[in-house]
Amino acid sequence: MSDNARNRLLLALSIVMAAIYLFPLYWMYVTALKSGSEMFATPPTFWPSSAQWRTFAYVWESRNMGRYLWNSTVIAFGAVALIAILGTGCAYVLARYRNIWVDIGLFLILMFQVLPASLMITPIFVGFSQLGLLEYPRLAVILAITAKSMPFFVVLVRATFMAVPMELEEAALVDGNSRIGAFFNIVLPLARNGILVSAILIFMQAFGEFVYSKSMIQDIQLQPASVGLNSFMGPNTSEWNNIMAYATMYVTPILAIFVLLQRRIVSGLTSGALK
Amino acid sequence: MKRVFSSITDGRGFDLVLVGVPFTFLLALSGLPLLYNILMSFQEVDMFSLGSVIRPFVGFKNYVDLFTQPETMSILRNTIVFVVGSITGQFLVGFALALFFWINFPGASWLRGLFLVSWVMPGLVVGAIWNWILSGDFGVLNFLLQQTGLMSGNIFWRSDPNFSLWAVILANIWLGTSFNMILLATGLAAIPADLYEAAEMDGANAWQRFWTITLPMMRSTIGAIIALGLIFTLQQFDLFAAITDGGPNNSSNVAQYWAWDLSFRQYDFGKGATISVIMTVFVMFAATVYVRSTRHEVRG
Repeated sequence: MSDNARNRLLLALSIVMAAIYLFPLYWMYVTALKSGSEMFATPPTFWPSSAQWRTFAYVWESRNMGRYLWNSTVIAFGAVALIAILGTGCAYVLARYRNIWVDIGLFLILMFQVLPASLMITPIFVGFSQLGLLEYPRLAVILAITAKSMPFFVVLVRATFMAVPMELEEAALVDGNSRIGAFFNIVLPLARNGILVSAILIFMQAFGEFVYSKSMIQDIQLQPASVGLNSFMGPNTSEWNNIMAYATMYVTPILAIFVLLQRRIVSGLTSGALK
Repeated sequence: MKRVFSSITDGRGFDLVLVGVPFTFLLALSGLPLLYNILMSFQEVDMFSLGSVIRPFVGFKNYVDLFTQPETMSILRNTIVFVVGSITGQFLVGFALALFFWINFPGASWLRGLFLVSWVMPGLVVGAIWNWILSGDFGVLNFLLQQTGLMSGNIFWRSDPNFSLWAVILANIWLGTSFNMILLATGLAAIPADLYEAAEMDGANAWQRFWTITLPMMRSTIGAIIALGLIFTLQQFDLFAAITDGGPNNSSNVAQYWAWDLSFRQYDFGKGATISVIMTVFVMFAATVYVRSTRHEVRG
Protein backbone atom coordinates (compact mmCIF):
# COMPACT_ATOMS: atom_id res chain seq x y z
CA MET A 1 0.00 0.00 0.00
CA SER A 2 1.35 3.40 -0.89
CA ASP A 3 1.89 5.99 1.82
CA ASN A 4 -0.85 8.14 0.42
CA ALA A 5 -3.51 5.45 0.50
CA ARG A 6 -2.43 4.43 4.00
CA ASN A 7 -2.73 8.01 5.23
CA ARG A 8 -6.17 8.37 3.75
CA LEU A 9 -7.36 5.09 5.29
CA LEU A 10 -6.03 6.13 8.71
CA LEU A 11 -7.61 9.54 8.40
CA ALA A 12 -10.99 8.00 7.50
CA LEU A 13 -10.71 5.57 10.40
CA SER A 14 -9.89 8.34 12.87
CA ILE A 15 -12.75 10.50 11.62
CA VAL A 16 -15.12 7.58 12.23
CA MET A 17 -13.76 7.21 15.77
CA ALA A 18 -14.06 10.94 16.45
CA ALA A 19 -17.62 10.85 15.10
CA ILE A 20 -18.56 8.01 17.46
CA TYR A 21 -16.93 9.80 20.37
CA LEU A 22 -18.59 13.11 19.61
CA PHE A 23 -22.02 11.54 19.00
CA PRO A 24 -23.45 12.79 22.36
CA LEU A 25 -22.64 16.34 21.28
CA TYR A 26 -24.33 15.76 17.91
CA TRP A 27 -27.34 14.28 19.68
CA MET A 28 -27.67 17.43 21.78
CA TYR A 29 -27.83 19.64 18.68
CA VAL A 30 -30.20 17.34 16.79
CA THR A 31 -32.58 16.95 19.73
CA ALA A 32 -32.65 20.70 20.23
CA LEU A 33 -33.92 21.10 16.66
CA LYS A 34 -36.62 18.41 16.84
CA SER A 35 -40.28 19.10 17.49
CA GLY A 36 -42.01 17.91 20.66
CA SER A 37 -43.43 14.82 18.96
CA GLU A 38 -40.45 13.98 16.78
CA MET A 39 -38.06 13.58 19.67
CA PHE A 40 -40.16 10.71 21.06
CA ALA A 41 -40.44 8.93 17.71
CA THR A 42 -39.48 5.26 17.54
CA PRO A 43 -37.21 4.56 15.79
CA PRO A 44 -35.52 7.89 16.57
CA THR A 45 -34.68 10.10 13.62
CA PHE A 46 -31.02 11.02 13.22
CA TRP A 47 -31.76 14.17 11.29
CA PRO A 48 -34.64 16.54 12.24
CA SER A 49 -37.41 16.37 9.65
CA SER A 50 -38.25 20.05 10.06
CA ALA A 51 -35.83 22.05 12.15
CA GLN A 52 -37.57 24.00 14.93
CA TRP A 53 -35.41 27.10 15.26
CA ARG A 54 -38.09 28.81 17.33
CA THR A 55 -37.31 26.52 20.28
CA PHE A 56 -34.19 28.55 20.99
CA ALA A 57 -36.04 31.86 21.22
CA TYR A 58 -38.77 30.23 23.31
CA VAL A 59 -36.31 28.69 25.81
CA TRP A 60 -34.23 31.88 25.96
CA GLU A 61 -37.34 33.87 26.87
CA SER A 62 -39.15 31.44 29.12
CA ARG A 63 -36.12 30.33 31.14
CA ASN A 64 -34.70 33.84 31.32
CA MET A 65 -31.38 32.58 30.00
CA GLY A 66 -29.91 36.02 29.52
CA ARG A 67 -29.89 36.51 33.28
CA TYR A 68 -28.39 33.04 33.96
CA LEU A 69 -25.62 33.48 31.40
CA TRP A 70 -24.87 36.97 32.70
CA ASN A 71 -24.43 35.56 36.21
CA SER A 72 -22.19 32.79 34.89
CA THR A 73 -20.12 35.39 33.08
CA VAL A 74 -19.82 37.63 36.15
CA ILE A 75 -18.73 34.71 38.31
CA ALA A 76 -16.27 33.36 35.74
CA PHE A 77 -14.71 36.78 35.04
CA GLY A 78 -14.44 37.58 38.72
CA ALA A 79 -12.75 34.29 39.47
CA VAL A 80 -10.36 34.52 36.51
CA ALA A 81 -9.37 38.10 37.37
CA LEU A 82 -8.64 37.22 40.99
CA ILE A 83 -6.80 34.04 40.01
CA ALA A 84 -4.67 35.82 37.40
CA ILE A 85 -3.70 38.63 39.78
CA LEU A 86 -2.80 36.30 42.64
CA GLY A 87 -1.55 33.29 40.70
CA THR A 88 0.79 34.80 38.10
CA GLY A 89 3.29 36.18 40.59
CA CYS A 90 3.15 32.99 42.62
CA ALA A 91 3.90 30.89 39.53
CA TYR A 92 6.77 33.21 38.61
CA VAL A 93 8.51 32.84 41.97
CA LEU A 94 7.96 29.07 42.01
CA ALA A 95 9.52 28.85 38.53
CA ARG A 96 12.47 31.13 39.23
CA TYR A 97 14.02 29.35 42.18
CA ARG A 98 14.99 25.78 43.04
CA ASN A 99 15.18 25.07 46.71
CA ILE A 100 13.46 23.17 49.47
CA TRP A 101 10.93 25.96 50.04
CA VAL A 102 9.85 25.88 46.42
CA ASP A 103 9.40 22.11 46.69
CA ILE A 104 7.26 22.54 49.79
CA GLY A 105 5.26 25.28 48.06
CA LEU A 106 4.63 23.09 45.03
CA PHE A 107 3.53 20.23 47.23
CA LEU A 108 1.08 22.49 49.08
CA ILE A 109 -0.24 23.83 45.76
CA LEU A 110 -0.87 20.30 44.58
CA MET A 111 -2.65 19.35 47.81
CA PHE A 112 -4.93 22.39 47.48
CA GLN A 113 -5.55 21.50 43.85
CA VAL A 114 -6.90 18.02 44.49
CA LEU A 115 -9.43 18.89 47.22
CA PRO A 116 -12.88 18.04 45.77
CA ALA A 117 -15.33 20.93 45.76
CA SER A 118 -18.18 18.76 47.02
CA LEU A 119 -16.17 17.95 50.15
CA MET A 120 -14.91 21.49 50.73
CA ILE A 121 -18.32 23.09 50.38
CA THR A 122 -19.48 22.03 53.87
CA PRO A 123 -16.81 23.94 55.86
CA ILE A 124 -16.72 26.80 53.35
CA PHE A 125 -20.49 27.23 53.55
CA VAL A 126 -20.57 27.17 57.36
CA GLY A 127 -17.56 29.47 57.63
CA PHE A 128 -18.88 31.95 55.05
CA SER A 129 -22.30 32.04 56.73
CA GLN A 130 -20.61 32.88 60.05
CA LEU A 131 -18.59 35.65 58.42
CA GLY A 132 -21.73 37.02 56.75
CA LEU A 133 -20.25 36.46 53.29
CA LEU A 134 -23.37 34.65 52.11
CA GLU A 135 -25.05 38.06 51.94
CA TYR A 136 -22.99 38.51 48.78
CA PRO A 137 -23.45 35.06 47.26
CA ARG A 138 -21.74 35.69 43.93
CA LEU A 139 -18.67 37.09 45.67
CA ALA A 140 -18.69 34.06 47.98
CA VAL A 141 -18.74 31.73 44.95
CA ILE A 142 -15.94 33.72 43.27
CA LEU A 143 -13.77 33.38 46.37
CA ALA A 144 -14.47 29.65 46.63
CA ILE A 145 -13.72 29.06 42.94
CA THR A 146 -10.52 31.09 43.25
CA ALA A 147 -9.30 28.91 46.10
CA LYS A 148 -10.20 25.79 44.12
CA SER A 149 -8.78 26.73 40.71
CA MET A 150 -5.80 28.95 41.48
CA PRO A 151 -3.45 25.99 42.14
CA PHE A 152 -4.17 24.60 38.67
CA PHE A 153 -3.49 28.01 37.14
CA VAL A 154 -0.21 28.26 39.06
CA VAL A 155 0.90 24.85 37.80
CA LEU A 156 0.10 25.75 34.18
CA VAL A 157 1.65 29.23 34.26
CA ARG A 158 4.72 28.00 36.11
CA ALA A 159 5.44 25.73 33.12
CA THR A 160 5.27 28.84 30.91
CA PHE A 161 7.67 30.82 33.09
CA MET A 162 10.12 27.89 33.09
CA ALA A 163 10.42 28.36 29.33
CA VAL A 164 11.38 32.05 29.65
CA PRO A 165 15.18 32.24 29.62
CA MET A 166 16.47 33.66 32.89
CA GLU A 167 19.36 35.41 31.07
CA LEU A 168 16.92 37.92 29.60
CA GLU A 169 15.77 38.99 33.02
CA GLU A 170 19.34 39.15 34.31
CA ALA A 171 20.33 41.33 31.37
CA ALA A 172 17.46 43.70 32.18
CA LEU A 173 18.62 43.89 35.80
CA VAL A 174 22.18 44.67 34.70
CA ASP A 175 20.79 47.41 32.49
CA GLY A 176 19.41 49.11 35.58
CA ASN A 177 15.85 47.80 35.79
CA SER A 178 14.42 47.14 39.22
CA ARG A 179 12.96 43.70 39.95
CA ILE A 180 9.46 45.10 39.41
CA GLY A 181 10.50 46.76 36.16
CA ALA A 182 12.14 43.60 34.83
CA PHE A 183 9.11 41.54 35.79
CA PHE A 184 6.59 43.78 34.08
CA ASN A 185 8.67 44.81 31.05
CA ILE A 186 10.54 41.60 30.20
CA VAL A 187 9.20 38.46 31.88
CA LEU A 188 5.47 39.10 31.77
CA PRO A 189 5.29 40.01 28.04
CA LEU A 190 7.27 36.87 27.18
CA ALA A 191 4.88 34.66 29.14
CA ARG A 192 1.77 36.46 27.95
CA ASN A 193 0.44 33.72 25.65
CA GLY A 194 0.78 30.98 28.22
CA ILE A 195 -0.94 33.08 30.86
CA LEU A 196 -3.76 33.90 28.44
CA VAL A 197 -4.38 30.26 27.51
CA SER A 198 -4.36 29.19 31.15
CA ALA A 199 -6.77 32.00 32.00
CA ILE A 200 -9.12 30.82 29.23
CA LEU A 201 -9.01 27.27 30.57
CA ILE A 202 -9.87 28.53 34.04
CA PHE A 203 -12.63 30.68 32.56
CA MET A 204 -14.22 27.67 30.87
CA GLN A 205 -14.13 25.71 34.12
CA ALA A 206 -15.57 28.57 36.15
CA PHE A 207 -18.27 29.15 33.52
CA GLY A 208 -19.58 25.63 34.15
CA GLU A 209 -19.07 25.55 37.92
CA PHE A 210 -21.94 23.95 39.79
CA VAL A 211 -21.35 22.72 43.37
CA TYR A 212 -20.49 26.06 44.98
CA SER A 213 -23.17 28.00 43.11
CA LYS A 214 -25.85 25.43 43.84
CA SER A 215 -25.05 25.43 47.56
CA MET A 216 -24.41 29.12 48.21
CA ILE A 217 -26.70 31.05 45.85
CA GLN A 218 -30.33 30.75 46.96
CA ASP A 219 -31.64 33.82 45.11
CA ILE A 220 -32.70 32.78 41.61
CA GLN A 221 -31.82 36.27 40.33
CA LEU A 222 -28.15 35.58 41.05
CA GLN A 223 -27.86 31.95 39.97
CA PRO A 224 -25.59 30.93 37.06
CA ALA A 225 -26.60 28.84 34.05
CA SER A 226 -25.43 25.52 35.54
CA VAL A 227 -27.89 25.87 38.44
CA GLY A 228 -30.55 27.00 35.99
CA LEU A 229 -30.04 23.86 33.90
CA ASN A 230 -30.24 21.73 37.03
CA SER A 231 -33.58 23.20 38.07
CA PHE A 232 -34.85 22.88 34.48
CA MET A 233 -34.29 19.10 34.63
CA GLY A 234 -36.94 17.88 37.04
CA PRO A 235 -37.03 14.15 37.83
CA ASN A 236 -39.85 13.40 35.36
CA THR A 237 -39.24 15.97 32.68
CA SER A 238 -40.31 15.36 29.10
CA GLU A 239 -39.15 18.67 27.61
CA TRP A 240 -35.94 17.20 26.27
CA ASN A 241 -35.87 19.34 23.13
CA ASN A 242 -36.10 22.47 25.30
CA ILE A 243 -33.45 21.22 27.72
CA MET A 244 -31.12 20.40 24.85
CA ALA A 245 -31.76 23.86 23.39
CA TYR A 246 -30.77 25.33 26.75
CA ALA A 247 -27.65 23.16 26.83
CA THR A 248 -26.82 24.19 23.25
CA MET A 249 -26.98 27.90 24.02
CA TYR A 250 -24.95 27.36 27.18
CA VAL A 251 -22.17 25.25 25.70
CA THR A 252 -21.75 26.54 22.14
CA PRO A 253 -19.73 29.68 23.07
CA ILE A 254 -17.34 27.48 25.07
CA LEU A 255 -17.02 25.02 22.20
CA ALA A 256 -16.33 27.86 19.76
CA ILE A 257 -13.49 29.18 21.92
CA PHE A 258 -12.15 25.65 22.27
CA VAL A 259 -12.14 24.87 18.55
CA LEU A 260 -10.44 28.21 17.78
CA LEU A 261 -7.70 27.77 20.36
CA GLN A 262 -7.57 23.97 20.36
CA ARG A 263 -3.86 23.52 19.63
CA ARG A 264 -2.74 25.96 22.32
CA ILE A 265 -5.15 24.61 24.91
CA VAL A 266 -4.05 21.04 24.38
CA SER A 267 -0.35 21.86 24.60
CA GLY A 268 -0.91 24.06 27.64
CA LEU A 269 -2.81 21.30 29.41
CA THR A 270 -0.25 18.59 28.79
CA SER A 271 2.67 20.75 29.88
CA GLY A 272 0.96 21.47 33.18
CA ALA A 273 -0.26 18.05 34.16
CA LEU A 274 2.83 15.93 33.58
CA LYS A 275 5.77 18.32 33.87
CA MET B 1 10.39 51.85 56.18
CA LYS B 2 12.25 52.96 53.11
CA ARG B 3 14.39 49.85 53.17
CA VAL B 4 11.33 47.61 53.35
CA PHE B 5 9.82 49.44 50.39
CA SER B 6 12.95 49.18 48.29
CA SER B 7 13.23 45.49 49.11
CA ILE B 8 9.69 45.01 47.81
CA THR B 9 10.36 46.83 44.55
CA ASP B 10 13.88 45.55 44.00
CA GLY B 11 14.92 42.65 46.16
CA ARG B 12 14.02 39.63 48.19
CA GLY B 13 10.80 41.28 49.36
CA PHE B 14 9.47 41.27 45.80
CA ASP B 15 9.47 37.46 45.70
CA LEU B 16 8.09 37.19 49.20
CA VAL B 17 5.12 39.44 48.41
CA LEU B 18 4.39 37.65 45.13
CA VAL B 19 4.34 34.26 46.81
CA GLY B 20 3.10 35.34 50.23
CA VAL B 21 -0.22 36.91 49.23
CA PRO B 22 -1.55 33.93 47.22
CA PHE B 23 -0.43 31.45 49.86
CA THR B 24 -2.14 33.47 52.57
CA PHE B 25 -5.28 33.43 50.45
CA LEU B 26 -5.07 29.68 49.87
CA LEU B 27 -4.36 28.92 53.51
CA ALA B 28 -7.34 31.06 54.55
CA LEU B 29 -9.78 29.63 52.00
CA SER B 30 -8.58 26.03 51.67
CA GLY B 31 -6.34 25.33 54.65
CA LEU B 32 -8.63 26.75 57.31
CA PRO B 33 -11.78 25.04 55.94
CA LEU B 34 -9.85 21.79 56.04
CA LEU B 35 -9.14 22.23 59.75
CA TYR B 36 -12.65 23.56 60.38
CA ASN B 37 -13.99 20.41 58.75
CA ILE B 38 -12.11 18.24 61.21
CA LEU B 39 -13.43 20.34 64.11
CA MET B 40 -17.02 20.08 62.84
CA SER B 41 -16.76 16.32 62.44
CA PHE B 42 -16.49 16.15 66.24
CA GLN B 43 -19.39 18.53 66.83
CA GLU B 44 -23.12 18.48 66.39
CA VAL B 45 -23.82 21.04 63.68
CA ASP B 46 -27.34 21.71 62.43
CA MET B 47 -29.32 24.71 61.24
CA PHE B 48 -29.61 26.10 64.78
CA SER B 49 -25.97 25.92 65.81
CA LEU B 50 -24.77 27.04 62.37
CA GLY B 51 -23.93 30.56 63.56
CA SER B 52 -21.82 29.75 66.60
CA VAL B 53 -18.30 28.30 66.72
CA ILE B 54 -18.80 26.79 70.20
CA ARG B 55 -21.11 23.89 69.60
CA PRO B 56 -21.89 20.74 71.57
CA PHE B 57 -18.85 18.51 71.37
CA VAL B 58 -19.84 14.94 70.66
CA GLY B 59 -16.53 13.12 70.35
CA PHE B 60 -16.57 10.30 67.82
CA LYS B 61 -20.35 10.10 67.75
CA ASN B 62 -20.60 11.27 64.12
CA TYR B 63 -18.09 8.66 63.02
CA VAL B 64 -19.77 5.87 65.01
CA ASP B 65 -23.25 6.87 63.81
CA LEU B 66 -22.17 6.92 60.20
CA PHE B 67 -20.75 3.43 60.28
CA THR B 68 -23.82 2.00 61.97
CA GLN B 69 -26.16 3.50 59.37
CA PRO B 70 -27.43 0.80 57.01
CA GLU B 71 -26.72 2.71 53.79
CA THR B 72 -23.10 3.52 54.60
CA MET B 73 -21.61 0.23 53.45
CA SER B 74 -23.49 0.21 50.15
CA ILE B 75 -22.49 3.82 49.46
CA LEU B 76 -18.84 3.06 50.16
CA ARG B 77 -19.09 0.00 47.92
CA ASN B 78 -20.65 2.19 45.21
CA THR B 79 -17.76 4.64 45.56
CA ILE B 80 -15.24 1.87 44.99
CA VAL B 81 -17.17 0.49 42.00
CA PHE B 82 -17.48 4.00 40.58
CA VAL B 83 -13.78 4.76 40.96
CA VAL B 84 -12.52 1.41 39.68
CA GLY B 85 -15.05 1.22 36.82
CA SER B 86 -14.45 4.80 35.68
CA ILE B 87 -10.66 4.63 35.84
CA THR B 88 -10.50 1.25 34.08
CA GLY B 89 -12.79 2.38 31.29
CA GLN B 90 -11.16 5.77 30.82
CA PHE B 91 -7.69 4.31 30.85
CA LEU B 92 -8.31 1.39 28.47
CA VAL B 93 -10.25 3.41 25.90
CA GLY B 94 -7.87 6.36 26.29
CA PHE B 95 -4.79 4.15 25.86
CA ALA B 96 -6.24 2.44 22.80
CA LEU B 97 -7.00 5.82 21.20
CA ALA B 98 -3.58 7.20 22.13
CA LEU B 99 -1.87 4.19 20.54
CA PHE B 100 -3.93 4.61 17.40
CA PHE B 101 -3.19 8.33 17.06
CA TRP B 102 0.47 7.62 17.75
CA ILE B 103 0.71 6.40 14.16
CA ASN B 104 1.69 9.53 12.33
CA PHE B 105 -0.66 10.64 9.59
CA PRO B 106 -1.72 14.10 8.43
CA GLY B 107 -4.45 15.52 10.63
CA ALA B 108 -3.74 13.14 13.52
CA SER B 109 -2.89 15.76 16.14
CA TRP B 110 -5.78 18.02 15.19
CA LEU B 111 -8.35 15.21 15.34
CA ARG B 112 -6.86 13.99 18.60
CA GLY B 113 -7.28 17.43 20.11
CA LEU B 114 -10.92 17.48 19.06
CA PHE B 115 -11.64 14.69 21.54
CA LEU B 116 -10.90 17.11 24.35
CA VAL B 117 -14.24 18.91 23.91
CA SER B 118 -15.68 16.50 26.45
CA TRP B 119 -13.27 17.93 28.98
CA VAL B 120 -14.10 21.61 28.49
CA MET B 121 -17.88 21.17 28.59
CA PRO B 122 -19.69 22.03 31.84
CA GLY B 123 -20.33 18.83 33.80
CA LEU B 124 -24.01 19.66 34.10
CA VAL B 125 -24.37 19.82 30.30
CA VAL B 126 -22.58 16.49 29.87
CA GLY B 127 -24.89 15.03 32.49
CA ALA B 128 -28.01 16.44 30.80
CA ILE B 129 -27.01 14.98 27.43
CA TRP B 130 -26.29 11.54 28.89
CA ASN B 131 -29.48 11.67 30.91
CA TRP B 132 -31.37 11.98 27.64
CA ILE B 133 -29.27 9.40 25.79
CA LEU B 134 -29.77 6.89 28.63
CA SER B 135 -33.51 7.48 28.92
CA GLY B 136 -35.39 4.18 29.21
CA ASP B 137 -38.22 4.46 26.70
CA PHE B 138 -36.90 6.94 24.17
CA GLY B 139 -33.16 6.87 24.79
CA VAL B 140 -30.99 6.51 21.73
CA LEU B 141 -28.56 4.16 23.49
CA ASN B 142 -31.26 1.55 24.08
CA PHE B 143 -32.27 1.88 20.43
CA LEU B 144 -28.70 1.40 19.18
CA LEU B 145 -28.09 -1.57 21.49
CA GLN B 146 -31.24 -3.25 20.18
CA GLN B 147 -30.42 -2.51 16.55
CA THR B 148 -27.01 -4.11 16.90
CA GLY B 149 -28.66 -7.11 18.56
CA LEU B 150 -26.79 -6.73 21.85
CA MET B 151 -30.00 -6.89 23.86
CA SER B 152 -33.72 -7.35 23.38
CA GLY B 153 -35.61 -5.28 26.00
CA ASN B 154 -35.17 -1.72 27.18
CA ILE B 155 -32.79 -1.06 30.05
CA PHE B 156 -34.05 1.63 32.40
CA TRP B 157 -30.59 2.98 33.05
CA ARG B 158 -31.54 5.71 35.48
CA SER B 159 -34.34 4.11 37.46
CA ASP B 160 -33.20 0.47 37.66
CA PRO B 161 -31.06 0.08 40.82
CA ASN B 162 -28.92 -2.49 39.01
CA PHE B 163 -27.93 -0.03 36.32
CA SER B 164 -28.15 3.46 37.82
CA LEU B 165 -24.55 3.54 39.04
CA TRP B 166 -23.37 2.23 35.66
CA ALA B 167 -25.27 5.00 33.92
CA VAL B 168 -23.10 7.54 35.72
CA ILE B 169 -19.95 5.47 35.18
CA LEU B 170 -20.67 5.36 31.44
CA ALA B 171 -21.00 9.15 31.28
CA ASN B 172 -17.88 9.58 33.41
CA ILE B 173 -15.86 7.27 31.15
CA TRP B 174 -16.90 9.39 28.18
CA LEU B 175 -15.92 12.53 30.07
CA GLY B 176 -12.48 11.33 31.18
CA THR B 177 -11.34 9.28 28.18
CA SER B 178 -10.07 12.26 26.23
CA PHE B 179 -7.97 13.54 29.12
CA ASN B 180 -6.38 10.12 29.57
CA MET B 181 -5.73 9.89 25.85
CA ILE B 182 -4.01 13.29 25.60
CA LEU B 183 -1.73 12.65 28.57
CA LEU B 184 -0.89 9.11 27.42
CA ALA B 185 -0.13 10.47 23.94
CA THR B 186 2.36 12.89 25.51
CA GLY B 187 4.02 9.99 27.29
CA LEU B 188 4.18 7.91 24.10
CA ALA B 189 5.76 10.76 22.16
CA ALA B 190 8.57 10.93 24.72
CA ILE B 191 9.76 7.35 24.11
CA PRO B 192 12.95 7.47 22.00
CA ALA B 193 12.31 6.03 18.52
CA ASP B 194 15.68 4.27 18.29
CA LEU B 195 14.57 1.79 20.95
CA TYR B 196 11.96 0.50 18.53
CA GLU B 197 14.41 0.48 15.64
CA ALA B 198 16.82 -1.63 17.66
CA ALA B 199 14.06 -4.03 18.72
CA GLU B 200 12.88 -4.38 15.15
CA MET B 201 16.40 -5.25 14.03
CA ASP B 202 16.50 -7.93 16.70
CA GLY B 203 13.28 -9.36 15.23
CA ALA B 204 10.77 -8.38 17.93
CA ASN B 205 7.20 -8.30 16.68
CA ALA B 206 4.69 -5.55 17.45
CA TRP B 207 3.24 -7.40 20.44
CA GLN B 208 6.70 -7.99 21.98
CA ARG B 209 7.68 -4.38 21.36
CA PHE B 210 4.56 -3.22 23.18
CA TRP B 211 5.21 -5.38 26.26
CA THR B 212 8.98 -4.91 26.48
CA ILE B 213 9.38 -1.27 25.42
CA THR B 214 6.13 0.72 25.44
CA LEU B 215 4.70 -0.44 28.77
CA PRO B 216 7.96 -0.29 30.79
CA MET B 217 8.84 3.12 29.34
CA MET B 218 5.37 4.41 30.17
CA ARG B 219 5.40 3.21 33.77
CA SER B 220 5.72 6.59 35.46
CA THR B 221 3.22 8.23 33.06
CA ILE B 222 0.70 5.46 33.70
CA GLY B 223 1.18 5.80 37.45
CA ALA B 224 0.60 9.54 37.25
CA ILE B 225 -2.50 9.11 35.08
CA ILE B 226 -4.08 6.48 37.33
CA ALA B 227 -3.49 8.77 40.32
CA LEU B 228 -4.94 11.74 38.43
CA GLY B 229 -7.90 9.57 37.42
CA LEU B 230 -8.51 8.71 41.07
CA ILE B 231 -8.38 12.39 41.99
CA PHE B 232 -10.78 13.40 39.19
CA THR B 233 -13.28 10.57 39.83
CA LEU B 234 -13.45 11.47 43.51
CA GLN B 235 -14.18 15.05 42.44
CA GLN B 236 -17.05 14.02 40.17
CA PHE B 237 -20.27 15.54 41.41
CA ASP B 238 -22.07 17.20 38.50
CA LEU B 239 -22.89 13.94 36.70
CA PHE B 240 -24.64 12.55 39.77
CA ALA B 241 -26.64 15.74 40.15
CA ALA B 242 -27.65 15.69 36.49
CA ILE B 243 -28.28 11.97 35.84
CA THR B 244 -29.50 9.99 38.87
CA ASP B 245 -29.39 12.33 41.87
CA GLY B 246 -27.88 9.42 43.81
CA GLY B 247 -31.05 7.38 43.46
CA PRO B 248 -33.06 5.31 43.23
CA ASN B 249 -32.78 4.52 46.91
CA ASN B 250 -29.05 5.37 47.12
CA SER B 251 -28.20 2.72 44.51
CA SER B 252 -26.04 5.23 42.64
CA ASN B 253 -24.94 7.32 45.60
CA VAL B 254 -21.23 7.78 46.24
CA ALA B 255 -19.36 9.29 49.17
CA GLN B 256 -18.65 12.71 47.68
CA TYR B 257 -22.30 13.17 46.65
CA TRP B 258 -23.55 11.83 49.97
CA ALA B 259 -21.38 14.32 51.90
CA TRP B 260 -23.08 17.17 50.07
CA ASP B 261 -26.50 15.57 50.48
CA LEU B 262 -26.07 15.20 54.24
CA SER B 263 -25.06 18.83 54.62
CA PHE B 264 -27.37 20.59 52.19
CA ARG B 265 -30.47 18.39 51.99
CA GLN B 266 -30.58 16.88 55.48
CA TYR B 267 -28.86 19.87 57.14
CA ASP B 268 -26.66 17.55 59.19
CA PHE B 269 -23.43 19.48 58.65
CA GLY B 270 -21.58 17.46 61.30
CA LYS B 271 -22.06 14.20 59.40
CA GLY B 272 -21.36 15.88 56.08
CA ALA B 273 -18.08 17.13 57.53
CA THR B 274 -17.28 13.64 58.83
CA ILE B 275 -17.63 12.03 55.40
CA SER B 276 -15.62 14.89 53.90
CA VAL B 277 -12.77 14.33 56.35
CA ILE B 278 -12.64 10.62 55.54
CA MET B 279 -12.69 11.21 51.79
CA THR B 280 -10.12 14.02 51.97
CA VAL B 281 -7.66 11.53 53.46
CA PHE B 282 -8.13 9.27 50.43
CA VAL B 283 -7.72 12.15 47.98
CA MET B 284 -4.53 13.32 49.65
CA PHE B 285 -3.18 9.78 49.52
CA ALA B 286 -3.83 9.73 45.76
CA ALA B 287 -2.13 13.11 45.42
CA THR B 288 0.96 11.78 47.19
CA VAL B 289 1.09 8.84 44.76
CA TYR B 290 0.82 11.34 41.90
CA VAL B 291 3.69 13.43 43.27
CA ARG B 292 5.85 10.33 43.65
CA SER B 293 5.28 9.22 40.06
CA THR B 294 6.07 12.65 38.62
CA ARG B 295 8.73 13.49 41.19
CA HIS B 296 11.68 13.63 38.85
CA GLU B 297 9.77 16.15 36.76
CA VAL B 298 8.40 18.23 39.62
CA ARG B 299 11.88 18.72 41.01
CA GLY B 300 12.87 19.61 37.46
